[in-house]
Amino acid sequence: MSMGIRVIIDLFLLIGCFFALAGVVGMLRMPDVFCRMQSSTNIATLGLLGILIACFVYSAWKGMEASTMVKLALVGLLVIGTNPVAGHAICKGAYKHGDRPDNPMVCDDYGRDESDED
Amino acid sequence: MSKTRPSAVIATFILCFGFWLLVTLSLSPRDLVLGAVVCLGAALFSARFFIHEESYHMYNPARIFRFLYYFLIVFMGELVKANWDVAKRALSIRVKVNPGIVKVPSELRREYAQALLANSITLTPGTITMDIVEEDEKVFYYVHWIDVSETDREKAGEAIKGRMEKWIRRIWE
Repeated sequence: MSMGIRVIIDLFLLIGCFFALAGVVGMLRMPDVFCRMQSSTNIATLGLLGILIACFVYSAWKGMEASTMVKLALVGLLVIGTNPVAGHAICKGAYKHGDRPDNPMVCDDYGRDESDED
Repeated sequence: MSKTRPSAVIATFILCFGFWLLVTLSLSPRDLVLGAVVCLGAALFSARFFIHEESYHMYNPARIFRFLYYFLIVFMGELVKANWDVAKRALSIRVKVNPGIVKVPSELRREYAQALLANSITLTPGTITMDIVEEDEKVFYYVHWIDVSETDREKAGEAIKGRMEKWIRRIWE
């Protein structure tokens, strides 16, 4: 029984570590700011969720206090609630600042509409 | 700036107090009174920023249940698919990206629904919402997409939003 729970915990930890690794490798390898932002979302979503689920199962298994588990759930909720706002702000800020990829983008509706308004 | 309405203060207070109960997890009178005072202060200051529409719209069991279903089943499904796709791109031998910014129409009217869809799009790896604009009473999202497979607005919208928009409309409208 305890062996099975142990395997489940390790599995979720592995999933979390894998996606965090993929996110970091993506951040280093992607060609421009916007694609790097895309890759970093990997870390905050499945990377974090996998590790949080593992922690949640562990604390339930060890019979820790209920407050520990509630706080783990709140950590997930707060990160998921705040991360997209920050990502959106960084992306828009980079665009307004004038960062553009070296290779032209396939289509750039935003830039086209902005220049129409001027 | 809209004025602070009493119903908005009450709705914000309920949310704050629920959060307080979750964080403290204690029912001793001292904690409850302290929490009520703090939450009332926070609600008085922040209600006019927090609630612009009907105050008790989300305090409805059916809506909360649909929101939980959306968050735990629909959204998690999209999240896992998109995560796997972007992780594969980052770890493959040659990084294969095809980025672009597309303009996607949306039919959501309420502010919270628009915000929830924008955040859902940003949170799925591979797409980031850059701006929301209203033109001729229609709402458009500018979305940075890592793999532009479709430049037509309607089809790109279907590929990006997937099942999410339908569910968000069901939650809020």
